[in-house]
Amino acid sequence: MAKAIKTIEPIKKTQEEIRKEALEEIQDALVDNKEAVLGTIDMMKNLEKSGVTRFLNGLFSEADQVLEVVVQEAAKEENTNALRNALLLMGTLGTIDMKQIEPLLLKVNNGVARVAENPDPEKKTGYVELMKKLKDPEVNRSLTILVRFLEGMGQTTEEEERN
Amino acid sequence: MQKEVSIQVNGELKKAGENQTVLEHLNESGVEVPQICYHESLGAIKTCDTCIVEVDGKLVRSCDTKISQGTKVETKLQDVKDAQVIAMDRILHNHELYCTVCDYNNGNCEVHNTVKDMKINHQSIPFEPAPAKKDESHPYYRYDPDQCILCGRCVEACQDVQVTETLSIDWNSPNPRVIWDNDVAINDSSCVSCGHCSTVCPCNAMMEKSMEGKAGYMTGMDQKTLRPMIELTKDVETGYGSILAISDMEASMRDAKIKKTKTVCTYCGVGCSFDVWTQGREILKVEPQAEAPANGISTCVKGKFGWDYVNSGERLTKPLIREGDKFRQAEWGEAYDLISSKMKEIQQEHGSNALSFISSSKTTNEESYLMQKLARSVFQTNNVDNCSRYCQTPATQGLFRTVGHGGDSGSITDIQQADLVLIIGSNTDESHPVLATRVKSSHKLHNQKLIVSDLRKHGMADRADVFIQPKSGSDLVWLNAVSKYIIDNDLHDTAFIESNVNGLQDYLHGLEKFTLDYAAEHTHLSKDELIKVAEMIASAETVCSLWAMGVTQHLGGSDTSTAISNLMLITGNYMKPGAGTYPLRGHNNVQGASDFGSMPNKYPGYQDVTDDEVRRKFEEAWGTELSSEIGLNNHQMVDAIHEGSLKSMYLKGEDMGIVDSNINYVHAAFEKLDFFVVQDVFLSKTAEFADVVLPASPSLEKDGTFTNTERRFQRLYQALEPLGDSKPDWQIIMELANTFGADWNYSHPSEIMKEAASLTPLFAGVSYDLLEGYNSLQWPVNKDGSDTPLLFTEGFPFPDGKARLFPVDWTKPIEYDAEYDLHVNNGRLLEHFHEGNMTYKAEGITSKTPSVFLEVSPELAEERGIEDGTKVRLTSPYGSVKVSCIVTDRVKGKEIYLPMNDSGEAAVNQLTSSKADKDTDTPAYKEVSAKMEILKAKGESPLPQTNHRYGNPQPQIGVNVEAKWAREDYVFPGDVVRKGAEANG
Repeated sequence: MAKAIKTIEPIKKTQEEIRKEALEEIQDALVDNKEAVLGTIDMMKNLEKSGVTRFLNGLFSEADQVLEVVVQEAAKEENTNALRNALLLMGTLGTIDMKQIEPLLLKVNNGVARVAENPDPEKKTGYVELMKKLKDPEVNRSLTILVRFLEGMGQTTEEEERN
Repeated sequence: MQKEVSIQVNGELKKAGENQTVLEHLNESGVEVPQICYHESLGAIKTCDTCIVEVDGKLVRSCDTKISQGTKVETKLQDVKDAQVIAMDRILHNHELYCTVCDYNNGNCEVHNTVKDMKINHQSIPFEPAPAKKDESHPYYRYDPDQCILCGRCVEACQDVQVTETLSIDWNSPNPRVIWDNDVAINDSSCVSCGHCSTVCPCNAMMEKSMEGKAGYMTGMDQKTLRPMIELTKDVETGYGSILAISDMEASMRDAKIKKTKTVCTYCGVGCSFDVWTQGREILKVEPQAEAPANGISTCVKGKFGWDYVNSGERLTKPLIREGDKFRQAEWGEAYDLISSKMKEIQQEHGSNALSFISSSKTTNEESYLMQKLARSVFQTNNVDNCSRYCQTPATQGLFRTVGHGGDSGSITDIQQADLVLIIGSNTDESHPVLATRVKSSHKLHNQKLIVSDLRKHGMADRADVFIQPKSGSDLVWLNAVSKYIIDNDLHDTAFIESNVNGLQDYLHGLEKFTLDYAAEHTHLSKDELIKVAEMIASAETVCSLWAMGVTQHLGGSDTSTAISNLMLITGNYMKPGAGTYPLRGHNNVQGASDFGSMPNKYPGYQDVTDDEVRRKFEEAWGTELSSEIGLNNHQMVDAIHEGSLKSMYLKGEDMGIVDSNINYVHAAFEKLDFFVVQDVFLSKTAEFADVVLPASPSLEKDGTFTNTERRFQRLYQALEPLGDSKPDWQIIMELANTFGADWNYSHPSEIMKEAASLTPLFAGVSYDLLEGYNSLQWPVNKDGSDTPLLFTEGFPFPDGKARLFPVDWTKPIEYDAEYDLHVNNGRLLEHFHEGNMTYKAEGITSKTPSVFLEVSPELAEERGIEDGTKVRLTSPYGSVKVSCIVTDRVKGKEIYLPMNDSGEAAVNQLTSSKADKDTDTPAYKEVSAKMEILKAKGESPLPQTNHRYGNPQPQIGVNVEAKWAREDYVFPGDVVRKGAEANG
């Protein structure tokens, strides 16, 4: 005669047993992930040494307030502008084609090096001397590049504007 | 095959289907066009104007323009782009882009993606908040007019897919928005919480509340920080480009914390499949997919929102062992040892047939297979059955007699395309809600005709072209009379019968007594009604017959099922799309539980246990001897316990103590068992009688397959880890079998399926590889993996390939003494599943439908002085229930309706008898009469006013976009571009 019953008696475990099971579970996990655990400990040592842990603790324990402050600060007009500029700059940087710009940069480097030799020359360049210099292939190449650059700069870019 | 025409797209010559729209063609051929309101499952809605292209020199909506020979399409012109941008601008006027802190930013936001694809950086009409407030009244979803882009997808889905007809857009308002019924709060409307609207919404306007604050990394922050954050994101944006880039990054990071798993719903036989989004153990949402074979984007309230039970604190997490008057939690080892020793003892003392096994129509095919294998190969008994005995075995029987396969003739799409749908004894829009939407939609939009035969004026009856209310238990009479009328008047399909059907003469002989007069006398239908029904069926090109428990749960349930199939045979409604017989399977795996052999007389695939050759095949495969003696079905098991010959029962996933008929008798049997093991997710009523209770894992916590009402195999994938120490049923059965030395080594359900398929010609080609993701197979499945969406196209599975007309006579329903003067109809409710173990755990569902109730007709209410909230006692010869009433014209006269969703004092099976279908022992649940006494005249109504039944639907076709176009401030963007019209709108 098995009457319907509803009462359930849970397995009674002592604190000791619960603790032991939990410890076993943790031990298993540690052993199973030995490399990762040791690596993490190394990393934490470094973080602690450099004070990062203390900083992060503060940040996370007060996360809501910190975020609120950050958002409020960021929402100020000058900061909004800064953020916008940063985003704009990031966007613009993204459009630069390094392949195209690399030769030009190398040339600018050379120019800078030449100037660095004597950054403040006393000697002035006269008109005639300037015309003569135009014949110098190095100077002429530089000027051609500059003129092309100016042409490019004059083209309309409205369509590409992001702001 | 669709006719092909040649068209030009951007100057290139292309082939296209003649009746396609331009947009359909562009989508197929990979030409990108924005399309915010278009949805592949909803079609053209025509509200957003973003899909404008030039066709034959004119700017038009590509979703609304049909292709013809020589059509010229341009998608790249500046005018086209300009018009599209105007359309998109108008959308962004209504929608604030704060994607990174939006819960809908999951990579699939269509507003976000379209802004990105169109490379829109600025908008000319700035966002303006809407005057209406966010509606958060509904427990499961909320509507934010500030984010709503008025695309109308939700309205389209509600009006024309789900056909609840609650949502509309008030285009005449100065600030149009979506409204519920005639502009009431969501929770006070006729909304049935099916979730279609939040599923199809292209953005975050209509969203599941379970997503709010959970989906994103930053969406859970305080409201006081969130608002400045939104302002900040908007302030710093240097055009949408960078903001979208950051939100895209955040969206892909979300993949790391949100798990999306395909699963199959367990709440009825339709077999809806969908992705479930989880985060840890928390369910974020259910996300239906257009590619889901049975349901597409559709769900009902249970499938979309009814999953809270998975994390219920009442779940069993450890085995329980009875000790005195309580259960003691135990470890698996101890439970297995106890079961093993007890069952061995009983087997030795009383023989194998003193043991019995009951499988579940809710567990997987693989689990059903193992249960019958356990009974047969470990214990050498065929005493194994499943609960489809309670509902659908008579239908299977009727089909085996006539057409040879016990399953739906075709797919849900066949029902959708039928000219005429005949529904008998099925409360389809509550019991099979998603399947019902297909009928409602075809009926509303595509001129499908609908005949409903039922006692109760339910949702389908409300929509029917012809609704007949025969006397309870008399369906066979009118079916036979209609069949006779059709043949007598030469309206039958003689050519079809000639070449495909045997047995006409005997059948005609059997029909002789079923004259219209005889039928009118016994069914209480008029002769005109009968003739009307006969003529509609005979004249329809294609007819699908749908039936359920109103037919099967009678003394003559198998015979009535047979009569339906006979009627379909004489009218030629087999062997073609859009026709046939469709017994609607009640549970997710009613079909599969029997397909996989949990029956006392059949091995998997309906192979007879008495067939020596078949038995040798299984003996060889399983390496054990098997019994050739047909076992007991679950009805006979209960009797055998009372007689004392059955001593032990192992039952999984079935609350037999609530769902079997005459439960007082069943409970008495449980008490007499020597040893009773119950395996379930909860401590069910049945489990309360057990000696050992084993904690099982529900569908979301395991892999496997289910077979739906369309005979369709679908895979479910594990979304969550089993809770506590619970385990999937297949593992428990295997481990238990191994304590008896069975040595089973399945490491995954796919291996069980492989074994089952290798032994079963009916689905020889089924494999997990072919069922990957949303792929499915409908049996019979040949060895090469080809399946059979439509049965019988090549003939019927009998030796000569012909179907058989099977004469059937009427069995009169149970007669009760005059004092039992009310007929107690019973069945399902939309919101709750069965005894309610699962759905009552869903707080939102329970808030709108807190308890069971008794439906009483206005006439009876008047006569007895009953009002909403009156508490009554119903008493039948077998027991009594106590329940509160509501008065409704869904029932009439002395007919009352008691839903089955209670496991306490209103559990209907305290009233039902042990009488059963004469051919299959399916209980005659529907043949109950009772007397009523009023316990308390006044009380609170059991159904709150927020229940959808009190709503006020507003039917219309789709979103009524013409009203939008007629607004004074609306100008078609194409006209703005080409004709210089004002750009507002």
